[in-house]
Amino acid sequence: MRTLPSTVWLWAATAARVLLGGVLVMAGALKIPDPAAAVRAVRAYRLLPETLVAPVAFGLPVLEIAVGLALLTGVFVRTAALASAVLLTVFIAGITTAWARGLQIDCGCFGDGGQVAAGQTAYPGEIARDAGLLLLALALTRWPRSRLALGGVSGDGRPCACSPAPPDRTDEEPTRAR
Amino acid sequence: MPADPTHTGSRTTARQRIEARRAAEAAALAGAQRRRRTMIGGVAAAVAVLVVLVVVVVVQSQRTATSAQAGTPANTVADGTAVRIGQADAPVTVTVYEDFLCPACKSFEGTSGDTLAALVADGTAAVEYRPVAILDHYSTDAYSTRALNAAGVVADAAGPEAFLAFHDLLFAHQPTEGGAGLPDDELIALAVRTGATGAEIESGIRDLVYADWTRRVTDDASRNGLTGTPTILVDGDVLETRSPQGLEAAVRDAAAA
Repeated sequence: MRTLPSTVWLWAATAARVLLGGVLVMAGALKIPDPAAAVRAVRAYRLLPETLVAPVAFGLPVLEIAVGLALLTGVFVRTAALASAVLLTVFIAGITTAWARGLQIDCGCFGDGGQVAAGQTAYPGEIARDAGLLLLALALTRWPRSRLALGGVSGDGRPCACSPAPPDRTDEEPTRAR
Repeated sequence: MPADPTHTGSRTTARQRIEARRAAEAAALAGAQRRRRTMIGGVAAAVAVLVVLVVVVVVQSQRTATSAQAGTPANTVADGTAVRIGQADAPVTVTVYEDFLCPACKSFEGTSGDTLAALVADGTAAVEYRPVAILDHYSTDAYSTRALNAAGVVADAAGPEAFLAFHDLLFAHQPTEGGAGLPDDELIALAVRTGATGAEIESGIRDLVYADWTRRVTDDASRNGLTGTPTILVDGDVLETRSPQGLEAAVRDAAAA
């Protein structure tokens, strides 16, 4: 016997999916047109060896877009939510260490190349935004079921409540027993 | 009695048991198929993401690669990344990283430009201008790159002093961020005012003849740790107070050291 989450919660999960997925797709897409800026943004953190800077700068947007699209369309929601939670944790850690080390950088989250005018850093805001998104990602990992999801199966392996489920015989009167 | 309720009841129960077992089997089968489909879908999605990842990394690497034979403007120093103004034996070197679209750079030039010029004039300091193009997406027409290319053209054709004059004109005519930059015609007109004239200037500015050079000097600055403009170094140390007094004090200290 399982109780269906109320409609409100299913729609709330949909809203969380759209918000998180939308931000990820946008963040990834904005890094594609100017790859040199993406490289500068990653390098500005001074965390990675030079050989890894370019691959991370070019590969990260692909992951962001892939995870974001999965969330937007509602396929592999639990996996995508977990992946975005991992990404956001890495982002928060990166920004926090930049702040702690006194670097004067922009987070480069939306293709901005990591540069910032001196004294114009916005670390608290950037961390707060990512922390909020991380909470959404964790909530979706725990409760991945939602409305308007394309995936026939939600993350917990059960039929998604939004797709027309195959008739569940056990819930019906045995019609042939006569 | 022929009508045996217990008999009928047990038959019904038996049928129901069989029905329930069939249903359970069907459900198990459907579940297994669903899991299999999910697994196949997951593997396919993972492979697709991996392929796209590799393709994008390769394409972006090629887009950012600069030719080894990238043209470098003449009259530059430091492997073509800087234009030096001032006496060769000046005791202090001031390094100025600027983007021609950067408002804070224009502000620095407005407040401290004269002080810097005076320090150069009295022989205390030489200035290495290291212009970069990091703000291309703050204009609709990649103005940072176009302006830097034009500055390279001017330096190449007319020398460091013309570069400096052009540099000052670019900041005086700086477009606002977010819109279109100065059109090529206007860049050419400003170049002419610095003494850089001729068909080569026009084509050099229009055809972005130093596009690769703009990418190279910008990447070089990033590798040197540049994360924002303006960044001013006095003998290699970052100038924190960019006021005229702060600049003068830092240069005098460096000269005395």
